[in-house]
This record gives sequence, C-alpha cells and structure tokens, in this order.
Amino acid sequence: MARQVQDRDTGNDGRSTMRMRLFDRQGRVRERVLSTLSLKGGPGRPVPGDRSLTRFTYPNDINGTGFLVWENPAGEDERFLYLPSLGRVRRIAGNETQDSFVGSDFTYEDIGGREFNDYTYALLDENGTWTSPDGTSHPAFRLESRAKAAGARFPRVVSLVRKDNFVVVHGEIHNRRDELQKTFSVKKLDRVSGIWTVMEMAMSDTTARTRTELVVEKIEYNVGLKEADFSRRELERGAGR
Amino acid sequence: MSLRVAQFIYRWRLYLSGAIVIGALILAPRAQIQVIDNDLTAWFSPDDPVYQDYVRFRDEFGGTRTVIVAIEAPSRERLFSEQGFAFLDKVSGDIERVQAVLRVSSLATATVVDVLPSSGVNDDGGLQVRRLIEDLETKSPGAVGQRAMDDELFRGDLISEDGTVTALILFFDEARIDDVRAEVLTEIRRLVDAQLPTGFKAHYNGSLEITEWYNRVTLANQTTFTPPILALTLLALFVMFRSVKKTLLTFGAILVSLLWTLGLYDLFGFSYNVLSSMIIPLVVVLAVADDVHILQHYGLERRTRSREQAFVGTVRHLMAPLFGASATTALGMLSLATSQVVAVREFGMGAAIGVMVDFAISIILVPTMLGWVKEERVAAPQESWFLGPLRSVAMFSTRHARAVMAVVIGLVVLAGVGMSRLRVDTNHINFFSERHELYTSAQVMDKKLAGIYTFQVFLEGAPESMQQPDILKRMDRLSTELKALPFVRKVTSVADYVKRVHRELNDGRQEAFVIPETSSEVAQELLVFGLGDEGRAELERMAASDFSRAQVTVKLASMSSDLVFVQVTEADRLAQQIFAGSGVKATVTGSGRLFSMLDHYLVRSQITSFATAFVTVFGVIFLVFRSWRFGLLSIAPNLVPVLAVFGVMGWLGISLNVATVMVASVALGVVDDDTIHFISRYRRETAAGATTDEAIETATTQEGRAALTTAVINCCAFAVLTLSEYRPSAWFGGLLALTMVMAFLAEVFILPAMIKLFPALFGAERVHAQGVGRA
Repeated sequence: MARQVQDRDTGNDGRSTMRMRLFDRQGRVRERVLSTLSLKGGPGRPVPGDRSLTRFTYPNDINGTGFLVWENPAGEDERFLYLPSLGRVRRIAGNETQDSFVGSDFTYEDIGGREFNDYTYALLDENGTWTSPDGTSHPAFRLESRAKAAGARFPRVVSLVRKDNFVVVHGEIHNRRDELQKTFSVKKLDRVSGIWTVMEMAMSDTTARTRTELVVEKIEYNVGLKEADFSRRELERGAGR
Repeated sequence: MSLRVAQFIYRWRLYLSGAIVIGALILAPRAQIQVIDNDLTAWFSPDDPVYQDYVRFRDEFGGTRTVIVAIEAPSRERLFSEQGFAFLDKVSGDIERVQAVLRVSSLATATVVDVLPSSGVNDDGGLQVRRLIEDLETKSPGAVGQRAMDDELFRGDLISEDGTVTALILFFDEARIDDVRAEVLTEIRRLVDAQLPTGFKAHYNGSLEITEWYNRVTLANQTTFTPPILALTLLALFVMFRSVKKTLLTFGAILVSLLWTLGLYDLFGFSYNVLSSMIIPLVVVLAVADDVHILQHYGLERRTRSREQAFVGTVRHLMAPLFGASATTALGMLSLATSQVVAVREFGMGAAIGVMVDFAISIILVPTMLGWVKEERVAAPQESWFLGPLRSVAMFSTRHARAVMAVVIGLVVLAGVGMSRLRVDTNHINFFSERHELYTSAQVMDKKLAGIYTFQVFLEGAPESMQQPDILKRMDRLSTELKALPFVRKVTSVADYVKRVHRELNDGRQEAFVIPETSSEVAQELLVFGLGDEGRAELERMAASDFSRAQVTVKLASMSSDLVFVQVTEADRLAQQIFAGSGVKATVTGSGRLFSMLDHYLVRSQITSFATAFVTVFGVIFLVFRSWRFGLLSIAPNLVPVLAVFGVMGWLGISLNVATVMVASVALGVVDDDTIHFISRYRRETAAGATTDEAIETATTQEGRAALTTAVINCCAFAVLTLSEYRPSAWFGGLLALTMVMAFLAEVFILPAMIKLFPALFGAERVHAQGVGRA
C-alpha cells in the first residue's frame, strides 16, 4: 500500500503557482507566492531523480529568489540557490528531506512525498475513514511509517491514505519523544487532468505553535518540461521572467 | 474594660481554647509545606510594568530561562576527540527526548555555514549548511573542534577560548516546564552523568537550575531546620523554667500558633517561597516572647492568688501590652501588603495574620493550660539567674543615664558608618557556599563561557522594520556599544546573522561582514538563513516572523544585582539613544532586568514598611497609653537596635538582599514588643505609686527578664540556622540572634536612661500628675 502511495500517478512533470500563508505563534500571517516546476525522475525517465525549481514571486523583496533541487537516489541531493541581489547561483549543500521546505512548517518530504526505502511501514487500520472538509466521508487506510535513520527528526508518522486514490490526506507527525508535534491536513482535493491533486493543505506545529497553509492556485501536468528546464542557467535566467 | 475582658475570657476559656485547638487540627493538613513556588509569579504582580514588558517579550520569543550544562574536559585534546564528540552527540539527542525540552544547543547540534569553492567554469561556488559534527566524516576531531572555535557565534557560548569547556544550552517549553521542572532537571542530570567520559566533569547552572535550587533550599530549610529549631526551643524553655509541664504547654501553644498561621496562609491561596519560609521563625520568636511573659506573670500571680485570680490578673495586665505589641508588629507586616513584590505582599499578610492569631492563642490558650499546672514553689532558673543581674542593670542605667546615652550615641554613629557600607545586592550565586555546586558551576561558566545571566533589548516596530538596513545597523551599533560595557560577555542580534550570511554569500570575504545596503538583499539573505531548521529556529528566537520585533541578547558574568542594574540601566540609555527617531521602540527586559528590579522593589518595600511600622508603633502606643510622650519615648529604643543590626550587616559585608531584608521586619517586630512591655509596666508601677527608680527597677527585672529569657531561648534555637549551606539562612539566624540581644539591651539600658534624662516628660511625678496608666 505504501508502494502504491509512492507510485500513484502524479504526472511526468508539472507547473504550478502556489500561495503560502505562514502563521506565527501570535497568529500573524505572512504570504509568499511561489511558482514551481517539477519533473519526475527514476528508472526509464530522463533524469535519475526528481527535479524541482521553485521561485518566489511575492513579496517583492524576495521576488526572483529561486531554488533548484536535483534529487539523487544514490547519494546526497544537489540544491542550488539564486538570489537576485547576488546575481549568482550558489550551490547549497547539507539540506535533508526532513528539513523545512522554504522556511515553512512543511518539510521537503511533506511536499514531495516520503522516500519509500527510508521507512518501514505498518498498516494500523484497514477500515479507517477520512472526513473531508466538505463533510463527505471516504474509506481510508491508517498507515504508520517509521524512519529507518536513527537520527530522524520525525521518526514516526501516522497517515490516513484514501483507499480510492492513495492520496495521503491526513498525517500525524511525531517527534523524537514520540509526541505528536505536527499535523498535516488536506483541505481540498481535486482531480486535475485526471490526476488527484491536493489543492489546499495545512501543516500545524503544536510545539512551535506555528501553522502553514499552502494553496495551489494553478497547476498543469505533463506540459513537456525537459531536463534543461532544471539547469542552473534556467534558475538564473528565469529570475527575470 | 480589660478586667471585664479578662473575666469574659476566663468564663469561656474552655470553649475558646477548644475552638483554638480544633481549628488548629482542621488547618493542620493545610500546613504542609511541600509545594514551593519560587517562580516569577511568586515575585512579580501581573500588572507590574516591568513584568508586563517581560511577558510581552516572552510571548514573542518564548522564555529566556535555560539550563546550561558545562562539560569540562581534562584537556582540549580529550574534548575534541572521537569520544568527546560521540558523547556530545549522544547526550544532546537523549536530552532532546526528555519531556518539555524544546531544543538543545551544543556542538553536536550546531550548524555551520561555509563557502564552497568553485568547481569549474560554470560554478560560482556555493554555500554549505550542515551540522558541525558531520565534518567528522572527513576531518579529524581536532580540526572539527578548531572549526567550532573559529566561529564567532559559538566561541564563548558553546566552546571556551581554550577549548576545554563546552556547553549544552537547553531551551524548554515555557508553558510546561514549571509543572515538571524538578523531574526534568533530574532526568537531564541522570542522562549526562551516566554517560560522562572518564575525567570529564559536568556543571549545571542557568536560571531554571537556580530556581530549582531555590526550591530545594526552601524545602530543605523547612525540613532540616524546623525540627532542630523546635527541639532547641523546647530544651531552652525547659532550662529557663525547669518545668516539664510549662515547657510542653508553651511548646504546644507555639505549635498551635504555627498550624493556624501556616494553615490560614495556605487557605488564603498564598504560595510558599524562600521569603515566606521566614514566617515560621517569626511566629516562633513572637510566640515564645508572648508566652514567656504570660508564664512569668502567671507564675508570680499564682504564688499569692487563686487560679482564677491569677488567670484574670495575668490577662488583665498583659492584654494591653500584648495586644499593643502584636498590633504594632502585625501592622508593620501588613504595610508590606502594599509592596510591588508578590512574595513580600503575601509574606506581610501571612505574617500579620500569624501575629494576631498568636496573640489570641497566647492570651486564651496559654493561661487556660497554665490553670492545669500545679504551681512550683521553687523559683524558675530564669528568675533566680536573671533577677539579681537585672537589678544591677537597672541601678546602673538609672545612675549613669548620661553615660549610657553617650555609649548609645557612639554605637549609633558606629552603626551609621556601618550602614553607609551596606549594599543592596542579591547575588544568587554568592548565596551558596563556595563548595556548593551552583557556586562552582557559575565560576566555570563565568571564566570559560559567556556567563549565566542574560538580559534582552526588545525592539518593536512596524512589520518588516527589523530587516531594514538602517535598523540593522542601529542594532549592530548597539551591540558594539554593549560589548564595551564591563561584565558583558556576549551580545547577539539578528544583525550578526545577516552579516554572517552576507559574508558567506560573498565568498567569505571579511570585508563583506557588514549589513547589506538594500532591504531586498537583507530579505533574501534572511530567507536563505531560515531555510534550514536550525537557522529557522535561530531566526525565530531573534526576530518575529513579520520582522516587526527583534531582540538583542546580552550575556553577563554572574554578578550582584546592583551591578546588573547598572548594566541594564546603561543598556537602556544606549538603546533609547541609538533608536531615537527610528520608529522602533526599545525596551530592556529579560531575567537580568527582572531580578535587578526586584531588589529595588524589595528595598522600597522595606523602607515603606519601616516608615509605616514606626508611625504605627507610635500610634498604637499613643492609643494604648493615650500619651504622645511615651509614643516618642518608644522611637529611640526601637530605632537603635534596627540601626545596630543594619550597621553590623554593613561592617560584616552582609548585603541587604532578598533574604536578609526580612530580618529588619522581624527585628522591629521583636524590638517593639519589648518596648511596649517595658513602658506598660513602668506606667503601671508609677501609677500604683512607685517612684521613677522603683518603677524602672520593676520593669527591668520583670519585663527585662522576660525579654532576656525570650532572647536566650530564641538565640539557642535560631543559632542552628547558621549551619545552613545557604548563606541567607545562616545570616538570618545570626542576625535574628543579634536582634534579640539588641532588643533586650535597648529595653534595659536606653529606656531607663531616657526616662531618667527627661523626668519632666517621663518621670513618675509627671505620670501621677497626668493620672494615666491605671488601665
């Protein structure tokens, strides 16, 4: 079942615009708008690992700031940063999948999905139910994922996976003390070009008392992106577009 | 009037006594002092502006309370070894798993940012953000240690200049930690101590650790010293009266007073802390004083009169002075209820209630129980031992009044000089003996690391203001100015992070270690810094998410509160000056400001209390004796012992601090009791026809004897406190003994001398002419 979550159709590539709302412990909110390009990697595909290019378009002071990620199934991911104020691309080394995604409550793996081989799995409940925000109930599996890495920041995640489409719709993310620290929830799920897509999601952190909401404003799949669209030159060049 | 009251009490004595004892038994379960609260709310009122500043800051950035674990290695090589790093890594991870621990900052969790060199034509190089200890995969432990020492953000904070001491700084969930503090700190110690490599030492300190030690000490003082104080009181009572029954009944009355006082204290919802623990000695001292007067007077009456007559006579004659003495003490204590400090307020109200309850118990329960004791025919030791010498003292005081006053004036001058040396100073670390682990750990952290005390400059402005280059440059200037202050060990602000990232993004060039010129550059660089979790956590501690608020953290060596106050005041002046006209409001806050302000509050409380107490003593004596002259007479013998105690403190270098400040209150409570008893007796004797000298002799031998007996009993009992490893408790014990002695000496020397020196005001003829004192 975990494998089916990993392998569900998410398109060969995609182009999206997202609005991110970051709430701090006082409830103050900051908005960021990002445009993202993604290309699925793997055996038989043009690239060995997934690639993504994320660029901030709002607010103005960070407009054009971009991140390029080359996932590498055999080793460390490669990440690149472009700051318009610097005018140069920089490699960034050292980020991990359980690190924050562009300073939000989401981690890279919350956004891009958990690497199948990094976890062991247990099916906790075959007959679970997920009630969507519009009130409709959906049969769901309750799946527990335990990180294999001893030093993982979030070693245990209990997820609700919709039976009909294998989309993770709810997650309870536990810290090293096995306390529930973060809660992931899907607010809106749509089918776009035949692909089940999370259009609105939220992650709240009870320890830090912060929350991040992510709304997909526009998404297109299979638009014909190439490896070249994820080059360092593109990262730099795209800033002016 | 007093005769009718005495007769009423006698008629209802059994019911009244029964009610007192039953009340004590009902309150007994509440008199358990097990939960100690020395937290901030025990000291600061929620509407205190200084506390409100702190709460505003705490809501934004979380609490500033930490635990610092300093790991001291035998050598730099041992610390920067595989074993050393493995220990730090393991123990940091283990501590992060302890409940309520939010974050561990150590060399094992520290993130470093390094420049990556260009790898070719199309590569401008990069940035490497990683945990420091990941370098162990490619570098030697020594090189990794050196990398840590080269980082200005770690040096002092996480690693000492000589590389032999490293720190684990533990941050906690403020909402939870106070509920589980004791067990969490114990668990952390267990984890560290169990894994400590051979030859390494762990030192524990930090604001939470100090608070916990305060709680331990308060509890230890209660449990360790209360039994010997009570036992020695029992023994001294027996030695003074040589009567098992009288000793036991007095002791019983003291216990009943304690149960009532502590029970009511709890019933009113007051919390126990290091200050309120002083209520027990206060009640014991005053209860002994009252009961000795009753015992002595009843004994004398019983020699010639029936039980009923002795009861009524004792109550009738002691009602006014005991009430006067208790009321003055209680009102003096009650004046503390106006204090800004919650703990002082609660102590004042609790002590006032205790004093008045003790008065009621002394006047009802003690004579009732004495009725069941067969009167001994043989004079008690306190009579046979003290009567003769006190008669000589009375004779000396009346015959050499001028000489006595000259000596008193000399002592006052000496005390005045001593008082000029008196410092208002609470140094929490110096409260503990040099062998105490809190003291030794502070020494290590002061010498090797950035110290244990902190305060913050809280900056508030419009959203985004804290990432404007102008504001960041002002922050940077403030940091530079603050670093120049003596005792400041380290200053950190968001400006440091901006400069650091700016430098690393500019190939690590040292000239790029500056604030960028545009807000876009700052915003982008801060975005980069906050991408990683460690960076994000650091940034959240330094600036609000919308950059409307920021903090500048200042670390200080452990020092006395008056020095902290100077640093805080100077920091405030600098902050106001530097941020003037910027639209940013700067407020100095944090635990350093809280505790230095607390001292000032305490002193203000004490001055208010003294002023009120002196006015009250005068007022009560005026009311009880209806004489402004005797009200005036009471001032000098009340003032001189208190001045003497302060003078001795000044000469011995004992500061007026959170613990000793209460000695003055207790001193005044004891001293005014003796004065009132003496004046009351003097006036009664003169009213009955005695000459001035005869009245002074009777007052000295009878009331002075009671005062001396009380002083001996209490000195024996409280001397045990001088054994406490907690210095304020030891000072309290010693100073209390000194107060008792001074109060006695003032009573038997100053009062007679003043009466003799001003016969027109206080002489027997004047009293006869006024026709007062027949109450």
